[in-house]
Amino acid sequence: MKSVDNVVLRAESLTKIYRRGVEEVRALDGVTFSIEEGEFVSIVGQSGSGKTTLLNLIGCMDTPTSGTIEIDGHETSRLSDRQSTRLRSEKIGFVFQHFGLIPTLSVEENIMLPTLFARRAAKGKASELLEQVGLSHRHKHRPHELSGGEMQRVAIARALINSPALLLADEPTGNLDSTNGEAILRLFTDLNRAGLTIIVVTHNPALADAAHRQLNLQDGHLLLESQL
Amino acid sequence: MGISPTFGIGGLAWRNLTRRPFRTSLTVSGVSVAVALLASLLAFGKGYERELSRELDAMGIQMMLVPLGCPYDAAARVLKGNALDVSLPASAFVKAKQDSAVQDAAPLLMTTLPRPAEGRTDLWVGVTSEIRPLKPWWKLTEGSHWFSSDTSDSVILGAEAAETELRRVGDSFYSPETGRKFKVCGVLERSGTADDSQFFVPLKTAQSMFHQPDRLTAIAIRLKDPALTGEASTRLQTIPGAQVVTMTEMMGTFLNLVGSVRTLIQSLAALAVLISALSILTTMLSTVLERTNEIGLFRAMGASRSQVFGLLALESAFLAILGSVFGVLLAGVAGSGVERVVRSFVSLAPQGRLLALTSDVILQCCGVGLLIGIGAGVYPAWRASRLSPIEALRWEN
Ligand SMILES: Nc1ncnc2c1ncn2[C@@H]1O[C@H](COP(=O)(O)OP(=O)(O)OP(=O)(O)O)[C@@H](O)[C@H]1O
Ligand SMILES: [Mg+2]
Repeated sequence: MKSVDNVVLRAESLTKIYRRGVEEVRALDGVTFSIEEGEFVSIVGQSGSGKTTLLNLIGCMDTPTSGTIEIDGHETSRLSDRQSTRLRSEKIGFVFQHFGLIPTLSVEENIMLPTLFARRAAKGKASELLEQVGLSHRHKHRPHELSGGEMQRVAIARALINSPALLLADEPTGNLDSTNGEAILRLFTDLNRAGLTIIVVTHNPALADAAHRQLNLQDGHLLLESQL
Repeated sequence: MGISPTFGIGGLAWRNLTRRPFRTSLTVSGVSVAVALLASLLAFGKGYERELSRELDAMGIQMMLVPLGCPYDAAARVLKGNALDVSLPASAFVKAKQDSAVQDAAPLLMTTLPRPAEGRTDLWVGVTSEIRPLKPWWKLTEGSHWFSSDTSDSVILGAEAAETELRRVGDSFYSPETGRKFKVCGVLERSGTADDSQFFVPLKTAQSMFHQPDRLTAIAIRLKDPALTGEASTRLQTIPGAQVVTMTEMMGTFLNLVGSVRTLIQSLAALAVLISALSILTTMLSTVLERTNEIGLFRAMGASRSQVFGLLALESAFLAILGSVFGVLLAGVAGSGVERVVRSFVSLAPQGRLLALTSDVILQCCGVGLLIGIGAGVYPAWRASRLSPIEALRWEN
């Protein structure tokens, strides 16, 4: 059933070592896995286990100390700044716990922001996404006029504006109450059903369980299913 | 759905300025003051030269014979209507008039008359009709006539002098300081020169009234041909007790006089420019510091280093452009105030408007303003462009 062509992300012996003076922190230690197109994967593990570190490496925000990552068949672990910028722009959509909306821009402009950096017009796409996250009526509002759940939905729409191959989310429900958290969960499920590949770091059991598959990190190591 | 037309890297930069309106307006005001100072300085330099050459052109005089001493100071005083302490003998005038190159020569006796009660000092000038070809712009008002004799107790008033003294042609005029009574035989039309505020009397009358028989303070000379200036001044220089000052030399002296004031304003302007550059620098640095997460976020969503650099550089350019625009406006509005200050520094300033806020002055100032903005914005923008996308994660809401 697994065909090589379907693999959208492949990580091979990923290691990330942070140095604080003489002390070394092995945030990730030999992590290997792959994710297929259309999968919905959650990354779970205790605080400090290396989840965010892993997501950053996948999203080309940082480079591994050793090991390789392939996205859509492109090796991405040793890219120049220019190349990784382009990759982030074209292939990756990020969603953060803190939403990260720009207060001076309207909802719609926030969603359009990545197209501005990508020098791409995607006006129609913005209204489509607003519709999809159920915020069409709010397109002119400023972020501070929205609830936390609405802000996160705007952030998700923004992450999708450049039609990425991967949606990466780091604790997307971390700042939300359970009702709003559920709405985000439903949105992710819907987006995934429509074919989007999603990787989400979460402490939220409901969200983790909604995924097809869980990657369990412990002290920088990926636990095998047999170890759970 | 409506996206505002200002949405773009430029629009983003512009809106960021509105986030901290107080800080933005403070920085903009700093730049405005610097640019205004600079604009006034440049405009003053331009206007001063223009006015001076206009005034010198209007004088039919090519050289002055003044008593030995500091010639430039003497000539400047005479030109601007201040009295001299030393004087020339009347014989110098006879000799000057005989020179072959001289077309017209006019003897002058200028005396200041302090009027402590009125809080001002009047300038009395003894002249003969020989002055008239040398002052081609003089026009006597309706009913005026020239002195009936060269010893009469008649006075011709400059337009302003007539106004302050509330006298018209035919009125009598008493000068308590000298104990003399005059009849106003003429009033000059306003000429915009120093003559406007002076009191003209026949030379002999002036000499007796100020107890300077047969003395002169200056001789104004027009040559038959300006090309004769060199040889004529060599000859005239030999007249005992006299020295020659040409108008060309005078022009230089005035400009030098202004030079020292200009250096003062220049250093002030340079200081203000420096301070405003520093204020843009600190504003932009704290902007980068405050928005580290946001800039990281931009990088995470695909903004390149050069786009981040451009965004921040534009912000500081906007600060500078705003500052320049307001600065030029400020210079235009406050110009007359500045002019008054400048006049109090430069006692021998021409009468016309000194500030010439011409389009190239405005362009120069905006250029400097923009340079400040770009210069001060480069480092913060570079810092921002070096930020890692990972900064996006350290967001504190
Ligand atoms: N920039 C850094 N410099 C040094 N050490 C770091 C850095 N970033 C992370 N670490 C360390 O690496 C380890 C993994 O951190 P990471 O942020 O990936 O954990 P996490 O699983 O996301 O935790 P949490 O659930 O609390 O977000 C931790 O021990 C952390 O202290
Ligand atoms: Mg984390």
